[in-house]
Amino acid sequence: MRHANVVILTDETEFARLLTACWQAERQAPNITVLNSDSWREQDAPAHDLVVVGPVRDGKITSVLRSLEPATAVILCVPADSQEFGQLRSKYPRLVHIPLREDWAQTLLLVAGESLRRAKALQIARQAERNAAKNENHATLGRYMLEMKHSVNNALTSMLGNAELLLLEPGQLSSQSLAQIKTMHSMALRINEVMQRFSSLASEMQEAEKASQAETEEAVAPTSRRR
Amino acid sequence: MQKLAADVHLCSVDKYGESTAVHKKVLIVDDSPAEVKLMQGLLEKEGYWPIGLHDPKRVEETITNERPSVILLDVVMPDRNGFQVCRDLKGNAEFNMIPVILVTSKDSASDKYWGQQQGADGYVTKPFTREDLLRAVRRFA
Repeated sequence: MRHANVVILTDETEFARLLTACWQAERQAPNITVLNSDSWREQDAPAHDLVVVGPVRDGKITSVLRSLEPATAVILCVPADSQEFGQLRSKYPRLVHIPLREDWAQTLLLVAGESLRRAKALQIARQAERNAAKNENHATLGRYMLEMKHSVNNALTSMLGNAELLLLEPGQLSSQSLAQIKTMHSMALRINEVMQRFSSLASEMQEAEKASQAETEEAVAPTSRRR
Repeated sequence: MQKLAADVHLCSVDKYGESTAVHKKVLIVDDSPAEVKLMQGLLEKEGYWPIGLHDPKRVEETITNERPSVILLDVVMPDRNGFQVCRDLKGNAEFNMIPVILVTSKDSASDKYWGQQQGADGYVTKPFTREDLLRAVRRFA
């Protein structure tokens, strides 16, 4: 699993130093980038899973929060009695706030850990959604192929049969035409083999799906019986 | 003149009034003219007398008129599919002795099983080779 990326955004060097030290003492530390409010521009910031906003100069928190993408995970770690925070709380009710008290660092690490896990879970869910969409496209193609199998087989019947009919009377054909018809016949046979492989693959997949469904039902049955 | 068996058909009579060639009639029921023509071509070369029919609703009428020895029956057809035709023929005392071979691109085990359940005597999957078709027909005619 890749390391998470965290941006610490603060104008207090001590805050950044302490938090970084605490994090690095942990078993699994994220990649940390420290920025101050002057150098902060989210579009230029390195890729991040979490932004920790620490104490910044007066009036800067609002502009920082405004510049963040709505989906960005943010932990705000400022004194609870700051006037700016009071206004922010009503504007961003879901903002995670950790008051800057004696044990703030430990609390922040716990909350950050959960936030990063949530970000990771979201990332996995999005990837699963993308995969499901891709699989759905493949399934549509597969269904189309299955529906077309009948038409392909009918067309092949004509190709193979007529080639065989012509080959029954080789004397009526020039050697070049004979060779060409033989090629057409053998290519039609090859398409037939491909279609048969496709059919058996479809049957195997159906069987596997049935087995998997039966297994799931078997696993679910004892649970529902207990209810 | 010698009386012919029900499934043998007089093809020509020579100048002495003797029957010289007998061809067994094979009724081909398929909505695709190209496939009927193809099967006719293959069977004719083997000395059969193929009769093509594109309309599955006229099967009984054609059997009554032509008295074929064997029926090659497509499955996927509009208005009346091959399974229905086969079931109707096998349920009819007048026609149920005529062998029916289903000739179809439906190739799954369940399709074959369902064909058997309708009383079909043979099953040939499309695309077939000349040998596949002839082997199935020769079992009955």
